[in-house]
Amino acid sequence: MSAGVTSSEELRIDWKIQEDPDRMAAFQAHIDAKGLVEADDWMPHNYRVGMLRMAEHHANSEIVGALPEGEWITRAPSLRRKLALVAKVQDEVGHGQMLYRTSQDLGKSRDQMLRDLVTGKTRYHNVFNYPAPTWADVAMIQWLVDGAAILNQKSLAEGSYGPYVRTMKRINMEEAFHFKSGEDMVLTLMSGTKRQRQMAQEAFDRWWGPCLMFFGPPDRESTKTGPFMTWRIKTATNDTLREAYVDRFAPAARALGLNIHLARKNPDGLIAVKADGTPDKIEDPLIRLDESTGHWGFTQPDWDEFYRVIGGDGPCNKQRVALRRFSYEQGRWVRQAVMGCAGLPPSRN
Amino acid sequence: MSKIREQFQAGEGELASSPEADPKAYEVFIQLTRGQPHVHTGTVDAVDDKMALEYARKHYGRDQACVHMWVVAREAMISAGYGDDIIWPLTDQDYRLARGYAADVRRKWEQFRSKEDVDRYQKEDIKDAF
Ligand SMILES: [Fe+2]
Ligand SMILES: [Fe+2]
Repeated sequence: MSAGVTSSEELRIDWKIQEDPDRMAAFQAHIDAKGLVEADDWMPHNYRVGMLRMAEHHANSEIVGALPEGEWITRAPSLRRKLALVAKVQDEVGHGQMLYRTSQDLGKSRDQMLRDLVTGKTRYHNVFNYPAPTWADVAMIQWLVDGAAILNQKSLAEGSYGPYVRTMKRINMEEAFHFKSGEDMVLTLMSGTKRQRQMAQEAFDRWWGPCLMFFGPPDRESTKTGPFMTWRIKTATNDTLREAYVDRFAPAARALGLNIHLARKNPDGLIAVKADGTPDKIEDPLIRLDESTGHWGFTQPDWDEFYRVIGGDGPCNKQRVALRRFSYEQGRWVRQAVMGCAGLPPSRN
Repeated sequence: MSKIREQFQAGEGELASSPEADPKAYEVFIQLTRGQPHVHTGTVDAVDDKMALEYARKHYGRDQACVHMWVVAREAMISAGYGDDIIWPLTDQDYRLARGYAADVRRKWEQFRSKEDVDRYQKEDIKDAF
């Protein structure tokens, strides 16, 4: 279907490429008029590569994102929660499938993408490098992380690449379920016993920072935003989304009785403990509504930690990639059997 | 009446079936606006792909402002559903839908926030995604 790039050599952003000026002008005009680009339309090389990278990174994130929650399926506290968690994890893997499909039409083979993820040539979302040690983490992931994903994906659904935009709309319908069931779990914990509320608070402390980082580095450090905004591959800047996120979640958390903390973390992603045995955290002094702007204040997350974790040195990076490699290698015979069967003549099938 | 019809001698009895057989069925999906999904709109009969596309354009592409179409030979399509073949299981699947949580979430929120605050929060909620 697509005119497609074939070798991974060609899948690099290259701003030195000279595109045909007439085609470029027509392309930009189409995008400025809120037009959508389809898989078999002409598109500039860097648009194709930028879009592919984003869709592939998104696909990787969906399937790696299923891992921390998947661990909890066997330990869900009730049958309904278990059914919901199975359905949620299944949704995420399905999102990955749809997004790999979208990426394939942009010119990279599926197997190459799966291999690049395992060998670290491509990445997945940073937020999934953190641990989920308690059931309350499952609740917080569905409320805070899926909530962040919805905010981000709603902005991506305003983008210019048709197949990706339509995928975002479909995905968001399912994300709404993830978010609502997460909200229900958090509400349940926060209206429960003292121990439950404490468990929720501790999980919240672990996830608040990674969720602020979710939207990417501050705009002044984000180099790729420029041209991708003009092409509507991205439609909102990192800082805008982060601000909208805090405006939504800070007051909601506080209404529930959750405090927003600045916490020091150990390398394993858990909150460090002081000599007196209490967690090393203080309330974020900037969390309050600024009446003049209508926005909530907050302390920026630890960006050094962000770059360190993205660079591979996070609490769960090795574990996540190792599990992907395990499924890739252990699943090889299944893929081969399936592909082999499909090629057999009908009489032997 | 024309000369040809006047002089025409009708044959008698059964007609032999013609050797070229019937044309094939093609299903037509049209897209009304760029970016929107393609929707099934009908079928055409044609002897080959080229003719099918031509027929589909003329037949389904001109009664409304159609911008794109897919034409697929019916024999290339596979399908499921109806009768005993149930696609959406009939068991309660509430747990996998956002609306399955709406009432509970509302009730639980009201323990923490006033009714009006919950209303306001729900309004700016991700409504269009539900
Ligand atoms: Fe997802
Ligand atoms: Fe999700």
